[in-house]
Amino acid sequence: MLQFLVDTALRASDLALIALGLSMVYGLVKFPNIAHVQYAMLGAYLTFFLRAAGVPLVGAILLSCAVTGLFTLAMHLLVFRRLLRSGPAIAMIGSLAVAMLIVAALQGVAGSFPRMFDLPLSAPHEFADARITTTQLLTVGTTGLLLVGFSLLLFFTRAGRAMRALASNRALADASGLNAERITRVVNFGSGAVAGLGGSMLALSTGAHLNLGHDLLLPVFAAAILGGLGNPLGAVAGGLLIALTETVVTNLNFGFLFGKPVAFLPVAYIGAASFLILLLALLFKPYGLFDRQVRRV
Amino acid sequence: MSDFLISSFTIAGIYALMALGLNLQAGWSGLLNFGHIAFAGLGAYATGIVIQAGGSGWTGALVGVGLAMALGWAVARLGRQLGSDYWGIATLAIAEILRTVATNEGWLTGGAQGISAIPSLFDGLPRPWNAVAFLALVLAVVAVAALALRRVANGRFGRALRLMREEPQLAACMGYDLKSLKTRAIMAGAAVTALAGSLYAHYMSFAGPDYMVASETFLIWTMVMIGGLGNTAGVLVGVLLVQAAYSAVPFAKDFFGFGSDLAGALRLGLIGLILLACLLWRSEGLIPEKLRKIPA
Repeated sequence: MLQFLVDTALRASDLALIALGLSMVYGLVKFPNIAHVQYAMLGAYLTFFLRAAGVPLVGAILLSCAVTGLFTLAMHLLVFRRLLRSGPAIAMIGSLAVAMLIVAALQGVAGSFPRMFDLPLSAPHEFADARITTTQLLTVGTTGLLLVGFSLLLFFTRAGRAMRALASNRALADASGLNAERITRVVNFGSGAVAGLGGSMLALSTGAHLNLGHDLLLPVFAAAILGGLGNPLGAVAGGLLIALTETVVTNLNFGFLFGKPVAFLPVAYIGAASFLILLLALLFKPYGLFDRQVRRV
Repeated sequence: MSDFLISSFTIAGIYALMALGLNLQAGWSGLLNFGHIAFAGLGAYATGIVIQAGGSGWTGALVGVGLAMALGWAVARLGRQLGSDYWGIATLAIAEILRTVATNEGWLTGGAQGISAIPSLFDGLPRPWNAVAFLALVLAVVAVAALALRRVANGRFGRALRLMREEPQLAACMGYDLKSLKTRAIMAGAAVTALAGSLYAHYMSFAGPDYMVASETFLIWTMVMIGGLGNTAGVLVGVLLVQAAYSAVPFAKDFFGFGSDLAGALRLGLIGLILLACLLWRSEGLIPEKLRKIPA
């Protein structure tokens, strides 16, 4: 049972940071940025190369976060700000092009062979019947701390209030004298840096590989949509729900349904589980689980 | 060399059909379908499965078109209450679910190995002529589809679609049923695309889950965006350009002598770069859609 919770927490922390950034930026620019998951992959590769160049792991991760954040900011300023003038659909297709370019560049530079981190091996910690490695413990801890810090920032500071105001009513926020452009830039940098961190921490266990971004695309979007795009903490809750479902679906013995002692769902369908949640969410709660607005359609 | 040209043009023709199908949805109706390749995948798989079961190629193509239209109907129903960007993500999810199913249900689809030994259409002819005959067939289908779609686009249905894209509320006021317009546009696009998938399965003698990867959809999107969203001639030009870039990469690879990783990266990067440049500097495409102006 405890192992089940540990697995859920690990998967949720993989998704949470990336979904958080995606949702936060969506609130300000109002288009779903498909390239966001590729920023995570970029961060993973940067961390790998920095570490290979001799930078200690923590320094490599921090540096890679900063570079990924700057790259995200540059993409916003050079590409998406221009494309948004032609509407969200064009910007979304543009993010597709940016995603292709990032994958192509990394494939050209790093090749298609996965790059594993050679971390020192240590025996996993055991609590009751659950096992967790030091790396995993640190990953989940970092994610948790960051989420708590972000919530404090969002709800108890001026900057956080400005971000929420801008996301919920841009015209009114502009009229109240908020500097929308500056906030959008800061949020873009932050979301890129957080995505780089999420990708780097994910790569610590799976290695940096070219499908890292693509594999994250649908679970992360499912999490962000479940939480309501534009609601960053909702995205975290959505990520938790996706992680919970994926873990339940893989660990549950469906034998009782078929009258057989053992019947597990094939592992290959785990991915499909999160797509299915996404579809159900879009069908029944298209504006997220936490949407309280009444809309006329 | 001529073999290479014939094969390039055949594949370009098949992609042109898919792009025409997408143009009907994305260009004229303004629908962001990011799961378009699922229709082609259904066409290819239906052809493979029906032929394996002893049916004819015609039956396979018909079954594929039928299935794709059914999927199109379902996708359109799903889109009733979604914003366009949300719907785009939903279509992407549907295509990925179908690909997962195709990869894992080995009893039906052959799993990751796919279905091979699908007979080519003109096996009776001597060597170079079978490929030529197939190319002629593909080009004929493309020509028929392009002319038919052009006619549709200039007719009442096409005008209604464009009005729905530009001014949905006005279209609704004028008595058009938007749901039915969207559904019909998606189903028609699905039918054309499934036909292309069926032809592709015959041409490659193979149908596999690789046909349904999301990047194929993005490739077709690139073709449509480069050429000109909403313009039949533009779409065909876009297909030719992208296919030319694709075909040129192996030559560059041999000429400069770089590895296959770099060649793959070059392909993907080239397409991404063209798409991005096009969006930034010519978002209406190389041959923009001509909207009829009524002199005031």
